[in-house]
Amino acid sequence: MDKKGTDKILSIYWFLILTIVAGGIFAMVYVFYGAPSDVREIEAELLAQKLADCVSKNGLIEENLFLNGEFNPAINAYFTDRCGITFKVEEGYGDETEIQYLYKVSFYDIKNVVNPKFVISDGNLNWENECFIEKSNSKDYLRLVKCKERRFYAVDKENNQYLIEILSGVGKSEKNVKK
Amino acid sequence: MDKRGTILVENIVFLILNLLFLSILVLFLLKQGSGAIVLEESYSKQIAMVIDSAKPVMVIQIDLEKGKKIAETRGIDFGEVVGIDGNIVRVKLTEKSGYSYCFFNDVEVSSRAIKDSKGDYTGMYLFVVNEKGANANG
Repeated sequence: MDKKGTDKILSIYWFLILTIVAGGIFAMVYVFYGAPSDVREIEAELLAQKLADCVSKNGLIEENLFLNGEFNPAINAYFTDRCGITFKVEEGYGDETEIQYLYKVSFYDIKNVVNPKFVISDGNLNWENECFIEKSNSKDYLRLVKCKERRFYAVDKENNQYLIEILSGVGKSEKNVKK
Repeated sequence: MDKRGTILVENIVFLILNLLFLSILVLFLLKQGSGAIVLEESYSKQIAMVIDSAKPVMVIQIDLEKGKKIAETRGIDFGEVVGIDGNIVRVKLTEKSGYSYCFFNDVEVSSRAIKDSKGDYTGMYLFVVNEKGANANG
């Protein structure tokens, strides 16, 4: 038996295996660190919490949402500012005029939770439908806006009960999803 | 004699190459995990998220020790690593790189690196969150 020849063949196989293993590890690490960390779900959750804090405190709906006992429709124009929310973003999101956030706060009478009694919304509402697309692992899905939906109950000062539903969403796919 | 000598050299070369392979692999993994670019992104997003969840008048400390080490080796003053311009967090650990991320919380934030009694940077950063328009001297 040619021992020297067998050893050489073994060494070649060994290095071939090492190369494959190393290549696999390089590829996995590259894919893992090459993709940006997606924080949009956390952002959407934080946005929903901020809105919830703005709408009601200790279970009581903020008084300035009402005018003469009814919801004040004019609040829509300045609600974002009043809640201390800004939609300004840094460069790097393509179209600078495109707002990267959206939110919708719906107030339902407790006796009718189908049709909202009042809705406050702002941001890029063109993306609202994307919030309800079924989850998948496709690249197209990952690039869609990430949304959070939160519900809670609150009362007004006349003790009328409301179900409040908050939908918040964050786009920013350019900095959170691999191109 | 010749045969034994040949086997020894082959074994040594085999071992050296193996070790070389493993060393490169380990170095690559370590470098990737704590690279400036990865840390810049992670720090800027982390800081933006913390600010988004903050309320006036909070004071927040964040540990950026790993970033301090990288900044020092690259000749960057740690006090200049984090910058907040309006609602945009910018983290810069090397001359050539940098990463920005914005927060939606419309507050005024000031940041500074904390120094110890000897005047050396501790690796911690201090963020002071104030109402918009308020004096935010951290």
